[in-house]
Amino acid sequence: MHSAIIKILIGAFALGGCLSGAPARSAESLLIFAGAASKPPTEEAAKLYEQKTGVKVDLVFGGSGSVLAQMKLAKQGDIYFPGSSDYMEKAKRAGDVFADSEKTIVYLISAINVAKGNPLGIRTLRDLTRPGLHVAIGNPETVCVGAYAVEIIEKEFTAAEKAAFQRNLINYTESCEKTATAISLKMADAVIGWSVFEHWDPARIETVRLPATQVRRIGYIPIAVSKFTKNNASARRFIDFLAGPEGRKIFARHNYFATVEEAKAWLGAAKPVGGEYTVPPEWIKK
Amino acid sequence: MNLRRTTIIAALLVLALYGGLIISLGWFLKLSTLHGMLTSVRTLFSIQLSLIAATVAAFLAILLAVPAAYALSRYRFRGREVVDTILEFPIIVSPAALGAILLIFFNNPLGEWIQAHGVRFVFTFAGVVLAQFITILGVAVRLLKTSFDEVPLELETVARSLGATPRRAFFTVTLPLARRGLLAAFILAWAKALGEFGATIMVAGTMAMRTETLPIAIFMRLAGADIEGTVALILVLVATGLGALSLSRWLLGKVAHA
Repeated sequence: MHSAIIKILIGAFALGGCLSGAPARSAESLLIFAGAASKPPTEEAAKLYEQKTGVKVDLVFGGSGSVLAQMKLAKQGDIYFPGSSDYMEKAKRAGDVFADSEKTIVYLISAINVAKGNPLGIRTLRDLTRPGLHVAIGNPETVCVGAYAVEIIEKEFTAAEKAAFQRNLINYTESCEKTATAISLKMADAVIGWSVFEHWDPARIETVRLPATQVRRIGYIPIAVSKFTKNNASARRFIDFLAGPEGRKIFARHNYFATVEEAKAWLGAAKPVGGEYTVPPEWIKK
Repeated sequence: MNLRRTTIIAALLVLALYGGLIISLGWFLKLSTLHGMLTSVRTLFSIQLSLIAATVAAFLAILLAVPAAYALSRYRFRGREVVDTILEFPIIVSPAALGAILLIFFNNPLGEWIQAHGVRFVFTFAGVVLAQFITILGVAVRLLKTSFDEVPLELETVARSLGATPRRAFFTVTLPLARRGLLAAFILAWAKALGEFGATIMVAGTMAMRTETLPIAIFMRLAGADIEGTVALILVLVATGLGALSLSRWLLGKVAHA
């Protein structure tokens, strides 16, 4: 009886191991912790890299902070590829990545996103203060697109306009992707997101450009080698591939700005790239 | 090994598994972080919001579950099997999918009308309660049905033969006899609602001091790669949940045995 129970338990554990989603680690594989915002092009690039080099690329997607925490707690992973620059700054400060390996993959520009066809006629930032409008932004505490939105509001609005905007602000979204989904699923009338959102769901999302004077910074998505890697050289080769012509082509096909020049040309002005912005405490209750 | 010892070891193993996991949080626990959390207005709001929302959702679920479970237990009617099968629907589809389904519903004409003319659920407190209610309703009905099944039909028949109406027989015979199951269903539904995350975050968002329940606050800490903050908030949720459950079991136990 006892031996039967033990056999069942051993069998169950063995089966669990076989069925678990844990990627098999070998010298020819890379484990990448990536922000979910750039999932489609990253998957495409990983597949192409596998075909070209035979190196298996395992991808773990999630919120930029969540996957960073996962990488730290699991103490494994070869590459960290967050959805935005601020998490890379955090990872660099904590020594979780090799700072010298950091490269920029794509650039992002803040914009207003509304439902396709712009049924409420939202044309400017100040339109977001119109009474009765439902506006959402990414949670500025953890979602970089939300922090970019707060920076624009803080710098562009008067105190009265800011108060009117905050009256319209119905809630924060938990991720970059959810900020776009808020428009797709009509959870909000408008969000302050990225210009690329309209390409994520072209049937439902429309981007309303902000004038260059209102866009304070150009966002970017960086990538770097994790300090937990056991294959630094291989990880760097993948980053070179992603930042090279083939990788850039894939991201450009998904309508990201692959170079800072493209971003500047779309915006019509030169702006600082990246950097950190401290969100005022009133936006983040402690 | 005799039966008594084997079963007690199994029970203690359950405690060791869960207790061990909770104790392991100490590895990342910073007392200053925990103190900061316990004294922050934001955390206190999250605790209050979580307790109120879970209680409202559990009450509403039990309110609908009692008659529904009684019907499933006592009557044969068209669609009974379908109702019985769909009770596990919220468990099968996962909380996140349930939240997505709710959001999609609010994109349909009926959902849009409800939001425009009735109650706005998306990104509001009502959304928190709705997400929790939908998540726990099925399991509440399932538990209550089992409780009603265990009350012998003969007792109702005797009450009826003595002149009680079906309604009176239900309230004076069946419901009191099923009170332990009723309390167990409420407690389980409440606990599940308190820890509900996937559907809630999908429907209600993450804004602090508005819809940030404790599970959402934990997620936001983790999303900010703040492991110490995550650990402190998990302990707050564990203490809040287990404390409230112990208190309610003690209070309700008195009622059940009265």
